[in-house]
Amino acid sequence: MKTKIINWIDKRFPLTSFVEHDLTGYPTPRNLSYWWNFGFLAGFVLVLQVATGIFLAMHYKADVQMSFDSIQHIMRDVNYGWLLRYMHAMGASAFFFVIFVHMARTLYYGSYRAPRELLWWTGQGLLLLLMATAFMGYLLPWGQMSFWGATVITNLFRATPFIGDQVVVWLRGDYTVGDATLTRFFSLHYLFPFIIIGAVVVHLVALHTVKSSNPSGIDLAAKDNIPFHPYFTIKDLYGLGLFLILYSVFVFFIPDSLIEPANNIPANPMMTPNHIVPEWYFLPFYAILRSVPSLVGGVVAMAVSVIIFAFMPYLDRSRIPGGARYRPIYRLQFYLFLADMLVLGYVGYVPPTSQTIVIGQVATLCYFASFLVIPFISRMEERWLVKRGLPPAVMSLMESESQQKSKNGGKQ
Amino acid sequence: MKKLMTILASCCIATSVLASEAELETVKVGNDVQTLARGADALMTNCHSCHSLKYIKYSDLVAMGVDKSKVDAWRGDQPMSAALLAQMPEDAAIQSFGKAPPDLSLMAKARDGGVNYVYSYLVGYYVSPEGVTGNHYYPPTKMPDILGISTAAGETQRSEIHNTARDIVSFMSWAADPHAQERIRLGYYVIAYLIVLTTLLYLVKKRVWSKLK
Repeated sequence: MKTKIINWIDKRFPLTSFVEHDLTGYPTPRNLSYWWNFGFLAGFVLVLQVATGIFLAMHYKADVQMSFDSIQHIMRDVNYGWLLRYMHAMGASAFFFVIFVHMARTLYYGSYRAPRELLWWTGQGLLLLLMATAFMGYLLPWGQMSFWGATVITNLFRATPFIGDQVVVWLRGDYTVGDATLTRFFSLHYLFPFIIIGAVVVHLVALHTVKSSNPSGIDLAAKDNIPFHPYFTIKDLYGLGLFLILYSVFVFFIPDSLIEPANNIPANPMMTPNHIVPEWYFLPFYAILRSVPSLVGGVVAMAVSVIIFAFMPYLDRSRIPGGARYRPIYRLQFYLFLADMLVLGYVGYVPPTSQTIVIGQVATLCYFASFLVIPFISRMEERWLVKRGLPPAVMSLMESESQQKSKNGGKQ
Repeated sequence: MKKLMTILASCCIATSVLASEAELETVKVGNDVQTLARGADALMTNCHSCHSLKYIKYSDLVAMGVDKSKVDAWRGDQPMSAALLAQMPEDAAIQSFGKAPPDLSLMAKARDGGVNYVYSYLVGYYVSPEGVTGNHYYPPTKMPDILGISTAAGETQRSEIHNTARDIVSFMSWAADPHAQERIRLGYYVIAYLIVLTTLLYLVKKRVWSKLK
């Protein structure tokens, strides 16, 4: 009976071959470490956010007179409304945490290298979509930080050449952030996750074309690949359990730790908060924005700081695979970059003083410098390491890659 | 590397400077019914004439454990489902104090420092040598020293005022997040369940992967 039904379906829809191609037969390197769990976790958090968001939207009212009250209605009167809201609010932070780890892993192991450029770029697109969704969602509680955060960020579009003022009004739907802004942000905050889901499908199609990278950086022989199911389904589930424990600590015990106190005050356009801070996941970029004295310069610097990751496949000119694993200098650079991100995050969080402004500017320079020196350092490092001697597997891979390149070069 | 060390070092200096700016008194809020009921009582006596708690209804107080006869006395002829609005109309409050007294429902969460800030503020009044009453933690305040800490005579009275302030803050902490206790209780169950589940998943993972060797 079961085979009959499956046969019936298979004639009309490639069910068995899909499961075979993408699950039970999908070849996955057996040496993947737990750092490779975070893509799955990001997918899980996406589902979690959509699920909690749909239920929150049933009780939320997008109206400047009512939205703050409707959040309190959810927190106090709706059955387990507090749980839904805290899961969603903490879920946003969890999403960025997971994505940042996912990106850091890609940078560390050089997973962005050919042939995975498109995988990396679709991931970049997902990051931008995620940032836009989070930013719009933050306006919805209509607290002080919601209002002033949205005011500051939409105001940045004033930097658009020639039509800056019009663009700002077009985004807000009004001359100031108001009811029109709130309703459109709500609508788009509901729309964007579905665009993200679509983009995730593209990301996965790209992944299943080029397959996962692995910590060794070497394309493994067939015998070193194992099917995704059951090996990685169970490994991902175990990782999910660990993640959920950490997430639950935040949701149940310290749910207000990442919510700014000022956002428990209803939005008041007549009163600016003492200092406006974005959510923690935007802090490094916010620090870069503030480090450049002019508006246009700051906006450009902030935009470039996010987009510059996309250039990694071209900036990194080392032919040594495996990212930081075989490259001590790149590894040092990676950790310095993480430290720089933390410094920027701190500078973005504190109210600006003459001291932190200087620190922020130095850290901003370090941020961009750490990308711009990669082409030179990666080449020099490669020459030094080749002279010093690399594992034979790495050397042979480098040779075969360069042969491949010269062959393809002839065709082009 | 040297540059990085300098940056990190100056960060540490900056943090210590910020920390010394606001030294709030710390308070350990109670969440037992007696404390909360005492806090509700003190808040209704001292604060409610000017401040509202618009997200709290009289029925919420009864459900939390305040004596029903007391709640009946507070609400007068208002229904049980009415919110705790201030007794003084807002216009009159603005006339007397120059600005509308803020709603207290979320106050325990709405300031940096949370309950510690509110507690410090309530007991932070002093009389200057010129005879002017001020507040250490929020100098521009328009609120009078309602608990009378600045004019308190003797240690007993001062400690009584501190206790009242603690009760009020405990009640405000409950009002800001009435489901907090339920949330924490549920949290222990959820995490206990997840630890068991994760352990089982780990064992299954080990077993599945053992086939590879």
